[in-house]
Amino acid sequence: MRLPSFFSKKRGERRTGLPAWGSLGEALYYAVLLAAGLVIGGLMLTGVAVPEWRINNRFVEVSGRLVGKGVARHTTVDLFGARRQAWRPAVLVEYPVNGELVQSWNTAGLAETSSRREVAVGLLAEQELGQTVPCWYDPDQVTTVVLKRGYSWWFWLLTLLLPGALVAFGGSGLLHAAGGWGRSEERQAAEVWAVLQRLARPLAEADGYPTIPACDNLVNSPGTVLRFRLPTESPEAWTVLGSGLFAGLWNAVVVVLAIGAGFDVAGGRIDWWLLGLLAPFSLVGLLAIWLFLRRVLLVTAIGPSHLEISDHPLRPGGCYDVLLSQAGSVAFRRLELVLELEEQATYRQGTDVRTERQVVWREVVRRWNRVEPLPGTPFEAEVQVRVPLRAMHSFHSTHNAVSWRLVLRGQPERWPALVRVFPVVIFPASEAVAAGASPAVSHKRHEVAS
Amino acid sequence: MNGSRHASAQRLSSPLPTPQVTVTFRSDGNLYIPGERLLARYRVEGVDETLVTAVERSVAWYSEGKGEEDLGVVFFDRSVAGRQVSDEQVGWQPLTGTISIRLPLCPLSYEGLIVKIRWCVRLRLFFVGGRDFVSEHIFFLGDIPVARPPEPVAS
Repeated sequence: MRLPSFFSKKRGERRTGLPAWGSLGEALYYAVLLAAGLVIGGLMLTGVAVPEWRINNRFVEVSGRLVGKGVARHTTVDLFGARRQAWRPAVLVEYPVNGELVQSWNTAGLAETSSRREVAVGLLAEQELGQTVPCWYDPDQVTTVVLKRGYSWWFWLLTLLLPGALVAFGGSGLLHAAGGWGRSEERQAAEVWAVLQRLARPLAEADGYPTIPACDNLVNSPGTVLRFRLPTESPEAWTVLGSGLFAGLWNAVVVVLAIGAGFDVAGGRIDWWLLGLLAPFSLVGLLAIWLFLRRVLLVTAIGPSHLEISDHPLRPGGCYDVLLSQAGSVAFRRLELVLELEEQATYRQGTDVRTERQVVWREVVRRWNRVEPLPGTPFEAEVQVRVPLRAMHSFHSTHNAVSWRLVLRGQPERWPALVRVFPVVIFPASEAVAAGASPAVSHKRHEVAS
Repeated sequence: MNGSRHASAQRLSSPLPTPQVTVTFRSDGNLYIPGERLLARYRVEGVDETLVTAVERSVAWYSEGKGEEDLGVVFFDRSVAGRQVSDEQVGWQPLTGTISIRLPLCPLSYEGLIVKIRWCVRLRLFFVGGRDFVSEHIFFLGDIPVARPPEPVAS
């Protein structure tokens, strides 16, 4: 007897399998998660949430009197048989219920359980016999009484978050598994695509060109000389933002520690551990501020880079005028404008999602040596960018992308290297251009025409 | 690189016969121009059509390489035994047929370093008992040259 194969096996271009078994395994996995979420949620609701809700909404408020006090002992036996005792202050409350006085011991809300009896006894000193206290009793069981009301918000949050996440993850996965039951990946893709077409596009695409990113954001800024001004994706800006955030957060922690240490010293108490911790923390904080200021200085001193282009989106075989403007007073040993094609692949590695990038084509549009800007005048140069005749078009899907970009690289005299990226979008060649671009396609065109 | 792939015999775990799928493209080198009409004829041999419960025919692109696979289906048709789904299908003839669609303008077939885009015609047969068999036949949309790693940037 042969057992059914749970997973498809891939052999060359043909795969065989029992798709229902795969769907069943997936459904079972998500069903377990959903059940776990429901069980944990149910336990939390019945154990904490519902009693708390009843106390705050169903219990009857009366004015009670403290008529006795003592300590409640709680004895536990651990795995090795050792007995441990814990103590908690308790008060005897007397309160009226339907004209009759009821007495009940209460420990809730007085203090936490302590392993030391004297601590619990000490806490009882705050309670005076005969004093009047507000209390709330359970109308269904009148001996159940509490001296405090309110909600444990963190517990409610846990009740919602932990089981809620399990229910959401398990439920959505179960629905997905049920939706894919017995359906091939092509059928699912076709149906999902049809739904997405009706509802919304997951990725902004150019009209009529599926999988090509929309370039609306690249053509909404007119240039001063040429038609469009390209936006920049400067890694420097993110570096400045990141280093600024780090410096701010780190130094906030240092300030809090320093204030605490200052109060201690003012009160005549010196916490050497805190002071010892403060010294290296302060050094790191100062270093972070210095690095942040240096990066800000670098960005502002080098000055902004602008790129204008005569048309957009680009087409294979097309030739475009590009105007480069580099402001600032920094001299460059070398400055170059490069057209690059970069591939980007996103994949899972364990529980991590990683993205790998690789430049697969690069052409220097123009290189300038010894760039010395005049005071108050940006360095400007107009060049022509030619897109290769058989260039791949821009492409993006959920996990993969092929992106074109103009990259400005510079090596300033006394500063770190400059890299500024200007994304561009390349559409496929028009049919007429494509026909002349490739010998194979050209031959094919000829055949079709004849 | 020859994109035509012909299925050879393969034994299924159940005592089903081994399908042999042949897809013939009406194009030299299986190369298509964006927007051109794809015409492909398929034929399945070596299987009893009474054991086939459903046939799915699709034209799709998918990504290969380092990233997770993305799949885009531009044509999908499912026909079930005893039920006529497609207008062009007359009766139940699961083992022969023609696929004819106008191809989109993109994405073009692409052989990159960590991203590859492939176009294919897929024929998926479902048999009695739930087992399926898929046969995939590559064709090319456009004629983009194979990517090669560029020379490192001069320092």
